[in-house]
Amino acid sequence: MSTALEQIEQQIAKLSSKAVKKNTGSIRAIADGVAKIDGLSDVMYNEMVQFPGGAIGIALNLEEDEVGCVVLGDVAQLKEGDEVTTTGKLLSVPVGRELLGRAVDALGRPVDGKGPIEAKESYPVERIAPGIIERKSVSQPLFTGIMAIDSMIPIGRGQRELIIGDRGTGKTTIAIDTIINQANINKVGLASGDPKFRPVYSIYVGIGQKNSNIVRTMSALEAAGALQFTIVVAAAAADNPANQYLAPYSGAAMGEWFMENGMDALIVYDDLSKHAVAYRQISLILKRPSGREAYPGDVFYLHSRLLERAARLDGKGSLTALPIIETLAGDVSAYIPTNVISITDGQIFLETDLFNQGIRPAVSVGLSVSRVGSAAQIKATKQVGGKLKGELAQFRELAAFAQFGSDLDPKTKAQLERGGRIVELFKQPAFSPSAIELQVAVLFAMQKGFFDAIELKKVVEAAVSLRSFFTTRKDALLTEVRTKAALDKDLEAKLQAACEEWKASYAA
Amino acid sequence: MASHAKAAHQLARQLFQLSVVDGAVATERVGGVLEYVERHAVANPVMVLKAYQRLVATEIAKGVARVEHAGAVSDSLLAAIASAMTKTYRRPVTATAEARPELLAGLRVHVGDDIYESSVAGQLAALAAAG
Repeated sequence: MSTALEQIEQQIAKLSSKAVKKNTGSIRAIADGVAKIDGLSDVMYNEMVQFPGGAIGIALNLEEDEVGCVVLGDVAQLKEGDEVTTTGKLLSVPVGRELLGRAVDALGRPVDGKGPIEAKESYPVERIAPGIIERKSVSQPLFTGIMAIDSMIPIGRGQRELIIGDRGTGKTTIAIDTIINQANINKVGLASGDPKFRPVYSIYVGIGQKNSNIVRTMSALEAAGALQFTIVVAAAAADNPANQYLAPYSGAAMGEWFMENGMDALIVYDDLSKHAVAYRQISLILKRPSGREAYPGDVFYLHSRLLERAARLDGKGSLTALPIIETLAGDVSAYIPTNVISITDGQIFLETDLFNQGIRPAVSVGLSVSRVGSAAQIKATKQVGGKLKGELAQFRELAAFAQFGSDLDPKTKAQLERGGRIVELFKQPAFSPSAIELQVAVLFAMQKGFFDAIELKKVVEAAVSLRSFFTTRKDALLTEVRTKAALDKDLEAKLQAACEEWKASYAA
Repeated sequence: MASHAKAAHQLARQLFQLSVVDGAVATERVGGVLEYVERHAVANPVMVLKAYQRLVATEIAKGVARVEHAGAVSDSLLAAIASAMTKTYRRPVTATAEARPELLAGLRVHVGDDIYESSVAGQLAALAAAG
């Protein structure tokens, strides 16, 4: 009996003293957040390596006799000759519901001072996008709450829609409005107890942003009660370029968890221009060959592999991506904008001129498009806003001509009047997304000519009054529009009657 | 500057390849290489020789199992390590002992880039990192 115990003890001793094999190297040079390492002969591409002092790195360049690693963390502590070891792991970030309401860095570590995150799972930062067989076409709507977008450039769950424009044209505001609108819809849907309701969780990835801007965004989300449904991934301008390069992929991994687990998620990359700049910096320091505008040859792949991860999966959930690109002087034909335009399923183009004219959101109807979203648009919006894009485009053309001549025929005058009213109706203040049923009601009123008699300058005021009339007095009708999602004769009659009631009260 | 370094590196690699016979660095070949560099006007000789030295040192390290130990290590254990490493790396590996009392107990074996950690200090460090 005792021999048996001894044998077991020996076996335990053998196992517990088993040598652990590590592959090591030493830092030969370190500069600008990139370390050149001797050794590491077993390292794999994109493998996580461990530096002394807790800093980690990613092996990006495997050369004949050295390894180029980007360092994530404080490079100031590292020096030449320090030992580096391989980990045998790909860089992973925590994922799951535990991250909702939190702000994390590119590695998923909390940065909001609200304590540790007890995530149960982690996903690799770099993952291969879902293949053709796993995907399903986009057919469910994702409402932004912005009337100009939901009616003319609709977005569907699983779509990639680019938000592009110069600085200060309201790109981030559109993204934040969309996140707030998802939170508003989630609250209504979850309160209704409808088992078929699918909430949309949001991920906001701030890349190269000022810390103050990220704080402002978080405050806006918190004030609107949207932070509880949102994860903020922050790689601010002060973070090293490696973190800025990784942040969107980390955010995508967090979004993929929702998608893989049968939920819907929305991810905002704010913005991919700065992401490309961070990657250019890393590539130049790694001495990779540079191409146009000094970007490396794989800058297209940098964004295509990221945006391809947004998808709608058959039998599972979806991940919708809203990448943001900042243009210089409205130049959409620059390198990075054209790349991302070609990858995405459409773009929302914001114009500085419109913004300065007070047309906010400054969506340029002519240049904006949604290639797959119309399949996801609800019937009610199609019924009331199907022809809006054409009408607005005609209006812009006529308005340009009308500047040169004073004598206009009555038909042209009517078109101009109508176009001007549509433009006014689409004005919407920041951080106040409108529910889709309200949008349908306002557009219905516009189509039926309820705004025709109102002075152009007072259209915005009238629209506000109409919205408050519907929300305060016609809540049941709005619920019916939302649940039916299409206007039948009965519903149209009810809407007509409600609009007439409003008009009588508004005129009075 | 970058092209000079590249050229020096390339030459060092060629010289290194000439110094290897049957998968091991041959001392007489190294002597020949050094003589060649001395006699011929090689551009940037210091850069070339430093790169060459690094390559040779890396290669030699692959054939030596450096056994760091706390406490006594018998010759038979060193021989066992050498034969095990020879089998693992499929090349002749010799073992050398190096006393390292800071390991507290156990061994740490270095072969080229690889480290086999079986010391108490190493296990404590792993525990501290996990905690």
